[in-house]
Amino acid sequence: MSKQKPMNPLEMVAYILARQIHDHEVVYIGTGLPMVAAILAKKTHAPNITLVYESGAQDPMPGGMPWSVGGPFTWRKSPMILEMAYSFGQCANGYVDRGFLGFAQIDRYGNINTHLIGGGYHDYKHRLTGSGGNNDLSSLCERMVLVGIQSPDKFVKKLDFTTSVGHLEGGDSRKKAGLVGQGPVAVVSNAAVYDFEPATKMMRIKSLHPGISKELCQMASGFEFLVPDGEIPQTEMPSPEVLDMLRNEVDPRGVFTKMPGM
Amino acid sequence: MKFSYNEQALKNLKIDDPSILDPLVDAASAREAHLKKDHARRDKRMSLKEAVGEFVKDGDILSDTGFSYVRTPEQAFFEIVRQGKKDLQIIGSPNSNQTYFIAKGVCRYSHCSYAGVEMRGTDRALSRFVKEGRTRILSEWSHGSMALGFKAAQLGVAGLFSRSLLGSDIVTHNPFVKVMQNPIAGDGQPVVFVPALYPDVAIVHVHAADKYGNGRFFGPAVNDIAIAAAARKLIVTAEEIVPEADMRYNNKGVAVPFIYADAVVELPYGGVPGSMPGCYYWSRQWWEKLCRDAMMSEEKIQEFIDYWIITSKDQYEFLDKLGGVKWMIEARRQTKCEEYDNEDDGFDYSYHEWTKANPSDTYY
Repeated sequence: MSKQKPMNPLEMVAYILARQIHDHEVVYIGTGLPMVAAILAKKTHAPNITLVYESGAQDPMPGGMPWSVGGPFTWRKSPMILEMAYSFGQCANGYVDRGFLGFAQIDRYGNINTHLIGGGYHDYKHRLTGSGGNNDLSSLCERMVLVGIQSPDKFVKKLDFTTSVGHLEGGDSRKKAGLVGQGPVAVVSNAAVYDFEPATKMMRIKSLHPGISKELCQMASGFEFLVPDGEIPQTEMPSPEVLDMLRNEVDPRGVFTKMPGM
Repeated sequence: MKFSYNEQALKNLKIDDPSILDPLVDAASAREAHLKKDHARRDKRMSLKEAVGEFVKDGDILSDTGFSYVRTPEQAFFEIVRQGKKDLQIIGSPNSNQTYFIAKGVCRYSHCSYAGVEMRGTDRALSRFVKEGRTRILSEWSHGSMALGFKAAQLGVAGLFSRSLLGSDIVTHNPFVKVMQNPIAGDGQPVVFVPALYPDVAIVHVHAADKYGNGRFFGPAVNDIAIAAAARKLIVTAEEIVPEADMRYNNKGVAVPFIYADAVVELPYGGVPGSMPGCYYWSRQWWEKLCRDAMMSEEKIQEFIDYWIITSKDQYEFLDKLGGVKWMIEARRQTKCEEYDNEDDGFDYSYHEWTKANPSDTYY
């Protein structure tokens, strides 16, 4: 065995997120870990995906990790670059298979908050970025995959602000509200991968990461997860080769996968 | 009341006098402003000082343009700060540049969609400014819904019906939008009416313009084509001014017709410290230092703005602070490699990322 540094949680999450990408799909990429995952997927199991970014950039030829979703790596020799309104229009009109987004808070129905934390709209503790394209992707993409770090104050019973709607109040409430697409189909955290139970649309543990028990996973959440019947499988981990690729070719500067202070 | 705003949003945002919202959606006055412009093909060149002095007025709704710091007229924005304009409303998707306006009392109102420097961090200064009442948020948006508002203005329609925002708290914190039923869907289908949005003034930074104001750019257009058409007043800043014939023979990428333009400013490096496709890369460390250090306290943000904006007379002094000629050549090479216009086999993309633990004195 090589003397490989142990995997950090961000690298693990980036890999698991990459596994959610299917070859030949058109995928809409938010900033951060989704960019890492998409580029890793393109270099491994999904070489034929087409990447779309909200600045209007899309279909770049392979290159390095963008510093921004408007950066040249997102439109490197693109045949065509769009305007923002047309880019989101592609989602609404069914040309985008899967969108990838981060969040600051998530609830059991996959609704997302990126606006503010703590207190009310005027007496918040922290104001965050706001929606950006988060609401539009959640509202318009066919399937959403959501990624974030798991803790009881991030996986919450009630969001401090609903920036983006996933399955709203569960059941068919998303569709009734007028939103298109299937909504969130997966959530990836540093503890587990989740899907949504088809009838209630509540978040359900799909696989647990190595070393994480069902109980531990549940303790790191402010709401209760559904669990599948039978034994919960373990999440597949990257091979040493893929981890090397992630470190050396995908995000060599550790822009998104370096742990703070490491 | 002239307009019938979303009452719940007015209440949630605590807007007592909604007349402050009117100009953004007042299509009639925008049409009037466009009619009153000099429609003749005239040489509109002037200095940045003159353009900002004449066309950016206290209380105007200013549109952020480009993509946060990609082809964004940063140097023109800095001139607005230097001239000490007051009470601006700032709108944009993204709206990442409002902080330095607010810190200097230039921007009082925000139509907010996104603030921050992506994964480098959220805008801690904005978080304080809103709480302290130094800026008021007049409306919350998503990028896509605001993009439709600008697009509606460009198309000359009263508004568009969006399928974003439904079910979210944004729709209850935006006085301009309303949930309605799609009138031809038999079983009723909720949609969000987004009115056409008309900023008072926009500055669009382009690669090349002619003296009349025809403007050409490449890279992500974001919302600039729509905003240029919508704004009551338009300043075109350009990396270079080319003969009119050049616009006619090389018309691919011409996105701004001269009839929109009120002023044309030759402004090489007008996008620094942001990036300009084909011309220069970001000063990444500048943005990292801004959001990881300067935004953290009032003292630091004031010091940062004083050093970079107030005491830089123009983009040349700013460039000297960034690193001068060496910076300019490196920034050009960096973007050309990333765009693959230069061979990047063997090019070292690494840089010293600015962190608190490991600060940097350079600005690449």
